[in-house]
Amino acid sequence: MGDSLTTALLILHSLLAVALLGAITHQAIAVRGRTDTGKKTFGSRYRAVDAAAYAGAIVVLFVAASLIGASLYPSYRMIVRPVLELNDLRVANGSFELKEHFAAIGLLMLPAYWAAWRKPLAAEHATARMSLTWILAAIVWWNFLIGDVLNNIKGLAH
Amino acid sequence: MIERGRLLLFSLAASVGYTLAYYFNWPLVIYYPVVKELHLVRQGPADGFPIFYYGWLATAVVIGAAAAWMTPRRWTHRLPFDLGWIVPIVMLIAALTYEKRWF
Repeated sequence: MGDSLTTALLILHSLLAVALLGAITHQAIAVRGRTDTGKKTFGSRYRAVDAAAYAGAIVVLFVAASLIGASLYPSYRMIVRPVLELNDLRVANGSFELKEHFAAIGLLMLPAYWAAWRKPLAAEHATARMSLTWILAAIVWWNFLIGDVLNNIKGLAH
Repeated sequence: MIERGRLLLFSLAASVGYTLAYYFNWPLVIYYPVVKELHLVRQGPADGFPIFYYGWLATAVVIGAAAAWMTPRRWTHRLPFDLGWIVPIVMLIAALTYEKRWF
């Protein structure tokens, strides 16, 4: 893969990750339920969205970000990881290993997540819906932060 | 439309399958990025370092799809939906435990 294509994909991966982070965070906050105090605060407006409406976009964004991330993985192994090993940055290396596993588990969770959010929403799946959303949100946040930190240590461009 | 129970079973079997795949190193395929080749078995050092990640994911997808496709509906229908979030939490803890060696 050429350097310019790698950089373009890395930027696209980051943009998709930002969109995913926004969508999953909004859904995770909204799924906790509305607290109707009568006041129209920023928090109450933020929560007052239809959480189910985010599910399709989240699945698409998660799959797209993961596919692009997977296509960048050989470049990471050939360019970034040697730098981490050379500088004995074991925590950074291990954090990325976790990012890989979390991304895979998140990807494989998507069918269950999709089933939980499929309309009509089943009342008996409310706990599963909330828990799956929060687990996915935690995965997305971890992967976003670790990806950002590792890119700051050594971006993919030479 | 695929029923909820089958989607749930796919996720459960595939996430357990992924964990087993990396723990015991059962990649369905192995990618060699230096020579840009996919192989079913390990190659010699001349091909450079291997990437197992894609192979582990492929193993997981095959396990998940097989479980979801082969299990009768009367069983998938009975699966408690809460397993859908309990099993991934266990798998995340397994990953944290496995990668503890780096920290």
